[in-house]
Amino acid sequence: MSGEEEENAAELKIGDEFLKAKCLMNCEVALILEHKYEQLQQMSDDPMNQVSQVFEKSLQYVKRFSRYKNPDAVRQVREILSRYQLAEFELCVLGNLCPETVEEAIAMVPSIKTKGRAHDDEAIDKMLNDLSLIKKFE
Amino acid sequence: MQLHPRFFGRNLRENIVSKLMKDVEGTCSGRHGFVVAITGIENIGKGLIRDGTGFVTFPVKYQCVVFRPFKGEILEAVVTMVNKMGFFAEAGPVQIFVSNHLIPDDMEFQSGDMPNYTTSDGSVKIQKDSEVRLKIIGTRVDATEIFCIGTIKDDFLGVINDPANA
Repeated sequence: MSGEEEENAAELKIGDEFLKAKCLMNCEVALILEHKYEQLQQMSDDPMNQVSQVFEKSLQYVKRFSRYKNPDAVRQVREILSRYQLAEFELCVLGNLCPETVEEAIAMVPSIKTKGRAHDDEAIDKMLNDLSLIKKFE
Repeated sequence: MQLHPRFFGRNLRENIVSKLMKDVEGTCSGRHGFVVAITGIENIGKGLIRDGTGFVTFPVKYQCVVFRPFKGEILEAVVTMVNKMGFFAEAGPVQIFVSNHLIPDDMEFQSGDMPNYTTSDGSVKIQKDSEVRLKIIGTRVDATEIFCIGTIKDDFLGVINDPANA
């Protein structure tokens, strides 16, 4: 891939395919994988034999790092974040890491502050507040 | 997707899908990363018979969940091994190495049963099973694996499950 050298998530350079693709947060992936795992469980007695190592590891990982366990909360997170004109990738990093302060959010996702995008500190602060509210009421 | 003629018949579609899952899930490519799970089949095209073998190739369009770490991305990972060169962490199927040059200077390596990196005042400790937040600064792609180099030497990076640090 010729773009390999230029790849930099901090500037949102992640390749065309991935900019267009839907990006999922850890908690969403956890829901999908768990659903799939349950389906497999119904089909055979020993589902761990059926799934690949990658699947198993991914499931463990997203379970461990899911900030929101409740499917409704997960939906709300996406809904709230999608009001702020974020790229898919930015939305997911924010949803995954749940930064608490504006500085932290900018450090995690530097691209939200670049090139005349409509995110001032106030907007970011409001967004983070909304996020922490979901967490509280989960 | 190549299929042996013995799979043809009424269950052709199911057979194609189950073979696709078996062959594709768990693989890894440099461009798309790890294919974790297939979530949907969009369409299965017309089969093409291969000359000489009888195998038939079907073009299949499908949706899947992939995991692809990007350079510059910040993510959370579990520490799996600590040694004096640095430490290894795992984020799902991906291995990440953080060299001791990329660990903050005030953290010292301590050997022993449970090798770890500790700050001089002992308040922060990185050892096996710690959860860390790190930034990926480089990726190397093998045929079957993606290997990353990470750093925790930046603002808001480092241990996250440590109660003293939370």
